[in-house]
Amino acid sequence: MTFTRPLMWNVPATAELIFYLLIPVVLVVIIWGIVWRIRKWTIGQPEPGVGSLASYVGRLLRSGRLAEWIRTALFQGRLRPDPFALTMHLAIFWGMVVLFLGTAVATIDQDIAHLLFHWQILRGKLYQGFELVLDLFGVVLLVGVGFAGYRRLVQRPARLAAPTRPVSFWDSFPFLRLLALIAITGFLVEGLRLAQGFHLEAQVRQTQTGQQTPSGSLTPTQSPAVPGHQAPANLGSPSPEQPISKPIWQTQWLALAGEHWDQQHQQAELERIQQGGPVFPAASWAPVGWLLGKLFQNASFPTLQTWHQLLWWIHALLAFLFMIAIPWTKAFHLISSPLNLLLRANRPVGQLPVAAPSGVAKLRDFTWQQLMQIDSCTWCGRCQDVCPGYQCGFPLSPKEFVQAVDGLLLRSPVRLAKAAVPQAPSPGLSGSGPKGDSTGGSASPASKASSLPDLHGQTVSADKLWACCTCRACEDICPVGIEQPRAIIDMRRHLVDQGQVDENLQEALMNLQRYGNSFGQSPRKRTEGLQKAGLPVKDARKHPVEFLWFLGDYAAYDPRVLEATQAMARLFSMAGVSVGFLMDKEQNAGNDVRRVGEEGLFEMLRDKNLQALAAAQCQAIVTTDPHSYNTLKNEYLPSPNGSPGENIADAAALSADGGSCVSTDAALQTKPTSTDDQYPLAGKSIFHAVELLDRWIADGRLPIRRRLEHLTVTYHDPCYLGRYNGIYDPPRRVLAWLGVRLLEMPRNRENSFCCGAGGGRIWMKDMPGIHVRPAEKRIHEALQLPGVQVLVVACPKDLVMFQDAVKTVGVEDRLKVLDISQLVLQAVNPE
Amino acid sequence: MKIAVVIRQVPDLIEPLEVDSTGKALDLSSAAFVLNESDDHALEQALLLKEKHGGSVTVLGIDFGDVDSSLYAAAAKGADQIIKLLWGDPNRTPPPQQAAPMYAEVLRPLGPDLVLVGVQAHDELDGVLPAELAVCLGWPYVGVVRGVQAANGKSLLVCKEFPGAVMAQFEVRLPAVLGILGAEQPPRYVPVSRIRAAMKTASIAEQQVAVPPEAVRVEVARLYPPAPTERAEMLTGSPEEVASRIAALLEEKGLLR
Repeated sequence: MTFTRPLMWNVPATAELIFYLLIPVVLVVIIWGIVWRIRKWTIGQPEPGVGSLASYVGRLLRSGRLAEWIRTALFQGRLRPDPFALTMHLAIFWGMVVLFLGTAVATIDQDIAHLLFHWQILRGKLYQGFELVLDLFGVVLLVGVGFAGYRRLVQRPARLAAPTRPVSFWDSFPFLRLLALIAITGFLVEGLRLAQGFHLEAQVRQTQTGQQTPSGSLTPTQSPAVPGHQAPANLGSPSPEQPISKPIWQTQWLALAGEHWDQQHQQAELERIQQGGPVFPAASWAPVGWLLGKLFQNASFPTLQTWHQLLWWIHALLAFLFMIAIPWTKAFHLISSPLNLLLRANRPVGQLPVAAPSGVAKLRDFTWQQLMQIDSCTWCGRCQDVCPGYQCGFPLSPKEFVQAVDGLLLRSPVRLAKAAVPQAPSPGLSGSGPKGDSTGGSASPASKASSLPDLHGQTVSADKLWACCTCRACEDICPVGIEQPRAIIDMRRHLVDQGQVDENLQEALMNLQRYGNSFGQSPRKRTEGLQKAGLPVKDARKHPVEFLWFLGDYAAYDPRVLEATQAMARLFSMAGVSVGFLMDKEQNAGNDVRRVGEEGLFEMLRDKNLQALAAAQCQAIVTTDPHSYNTLKNEYLPSPNGSPGENIADAAALSADGGSCVSTDAALQTKPTSTDDQYPLAGKSIFHAVELLDRWIADGRLPIRRRLEHLTVTYHDPCYLGRYNGIYDPPRRVLAWLGVRLLEMPRNRENSFCCGAGGGRIWMKDMPGIHVRPAEKRIHEALQLPGVQVLVVACPKDLVMFQDAVKTVGVEDRLKVLDISQLVLQAVNPE
Repeated sequence: MKIAVVIRQVPDLIEPLEVDSTGKALDLSSAAFVLNESDDHALEQALLLKEKHGGSVTVLGIDFGDVDSSLYAAAAKGADQIIKLLWGDPNRTPPPQQAAPMYAEVLRPLGPDLVLVGVQAHDELDGVLPAELAVCLGWPYVGVVRGVQAANGKSLLVCKEFPGAVMAQFEVRLPAVLGILGAEQPPRYVPVSRIRAAMKTASIAEQQVAVPPEAVRVEVARLYPPAPTERAEMLTGSPEEVASRIAALLEEKGLLR
């Protein structure tokens, strides 16, 4: 019989009983809490494209989600840009997981496997290894908590500040302190236990050296018995053959540990100890506990016992407290975040899902998945750190936004939040309702729902929603996969539905409704800038062309961008490709219209563009505008969600209450063009111009005649090209071919910093109270690079924003803002 | 309060206006039409009054241009009834003297307490229509109105703007016609989805109206774009050159220091 793990050492039988009785209580409370919290998510609507949850999960798993999930959830891979935080979090998470599993395994091993089936695995070497692993992971946990403490107490980043709006009553719950206490008390309990073992071993050695003296009358210094703790093994089975006076260490051992073992086993253990074996055979395998034991061994045996019992209880109760707290604190992210990462949609990030075409007015208008996302926030505040709005004094912090909504979610009783918006009070109707709701009584859920704080206004004010540039920096950095911009846009849609838009935005939207461009210019003037420069402008609906150039608004109408647009046109003709246009039938692609929250207008613009595109003969589509690129590529879909016309019907059905006579108008009612084969974009690639420049320089179609080696430049990654569509390398390769010296700004590629134009912000007034505009902040960043002469961009809106910013910053003479096409033209056609 | 609003379609000035081959009229075939701006304000003022005091808003427009869209947009904003007047010629608008009796014919049976009309239109800066309409109905009229408040059930307090930043307040007995220059707040935005919904739920009531004889007292002799006079200097060149020329001119005239 090999040695095994002595469980419940020095724990009185009553204490053990209470402990085991507490376990089901704790479990019930946790499960009740988890159900309470997950039910909150059911306030939301179905998530589009999910269908049945089981088949959805199946699809995700087949698409390799499990591997990704192991990386992002179990190993927190999304924290990789922050190695300190990654180490910290891995240490805490895995420390807790291993310690929890270890405790669970030991309990099952002892109290189920051994007690009921007389079978145990934690024996011998395995037991020693087990002790070593647990001890090490206890250290790992403490190191993690130490890292966290350093970050919170010494570094104190602003992003970790407590939320201004408490999410729940338990907000102040000292999460990390509790984890630290659990680990420390765990080690202390171990140390105090091992110290008792050392005492007994000392006694054994003493007994053996003083073998002549009768074993019963040992040293008087030893305490005779354990106070208040009879040894049942000893009393219950007085072995007749044993002498009345057995060594005290045996009595003590039997009293402290014996009751968990049968007699045969007890005997074996006693013999092993008698022969000089350690009381705790794995003591030396638990380095921390061993050290602490050595430290404590000078204390008297009863002192050790008292402290051990006391700390054992504290440790157990803290662990229970932690578990119970999970559903009511941010510790719930242990459950919600992995779930959220597992269920993340597989669509391209540039494709905005629209579950509520008329917007989110109440919590229940979000989808359940959005509520789950919001409820999985860990308050880490990384989103706030990267938010261009927040950094410039806009009223928005993505973190505060998520917490405000989450706070409302947790405070809202499910039944009330699900209830319909209170209608005009109609007391006469009670009882005659067709639904036969069981509510009855005076307070229907609908009328009570009005006592909850409003989502709009009270919880999230409109200025916060309008502050978002939809740059996706927050979403990209969020370790748990929350889609903040999506939720913000959903809420904007409600503001637009209510007509609550600022006057500049209103003007832009009315122009877009009427003229298809935000400038309020004649559609016929879209190609005027090219025609005036004497460049060929072919109508792609009349002549077959290789590339249909979708101009976009800024490239066509803004005089500040015209030079860049003309440069690109010259490059097209130098590359010898034929390019055509939709002429006056091109409308704004609608990327930012959609992100402003004007879904109906987006659909109208998209459908008009698709109609025009259906008439064009081209092989591929190209644009210089990343915003147009994104929506053309990701949102002009034939099916299923983006089927043109389909959403229109939905939108109309949603906002119409009871259809009476229907009269249609050709101006607004464009017919759905789709079915996959006839879909005008079927089989056509969509390029950003920089991808083509990259290709054409590489294959020699655009030979570089003069390398621009005298230039030191930096490159700004446009959000909708970079973060939205992952195009980081083509512009950099182009710059390398041009021979310029490229210095990267500190925030580059996926960390790029928005110019402040996205999400329709370019149409809106400056945010009140800002101290600096995002574009100006970016200019300052570029100016820090030694010797940089040119800020290169690949987006017409960037050109406008940064040209303005160099003027307002007053550095026009130091930093030029150029489109990449202008540089390429200089190199290809030096004159 | 029962309010009626008259809306008109006017040529969109975003496209250059062309004179037709007769040399006496605009070539309407190449023009696009929009809702007259001060009529949009009249509608907004009506909606504000309805929101404040209750009642209903009826919107009338003569069948011309893109009037259906404007009527549906009005319904989407909150108009209760939209009426299109058919007068036999959808290719042009009648002059105000002829239009006023047509509107009056529709308005009389509706019995509104108040009729709001934009005080002027692109093609009618002298603001004849609202006054003519008041004459036809035999009701009091105030024009160039910037704000309307209900005093009691019987009358309104109306602010009229005069040159030199002088405002006059009138008490107007109902029923009355007001020529609106601007509503108390800018016309609201109505999202496309709501216009689409209105197209499904609201219906345009079409009403045939008698065409009064056109009393031609004056006739257009010639319609033409103004020729640049000698006093006008056309600035040409790159934006930078034009901008520096403007700056120089402003300095020359003592407007810059």
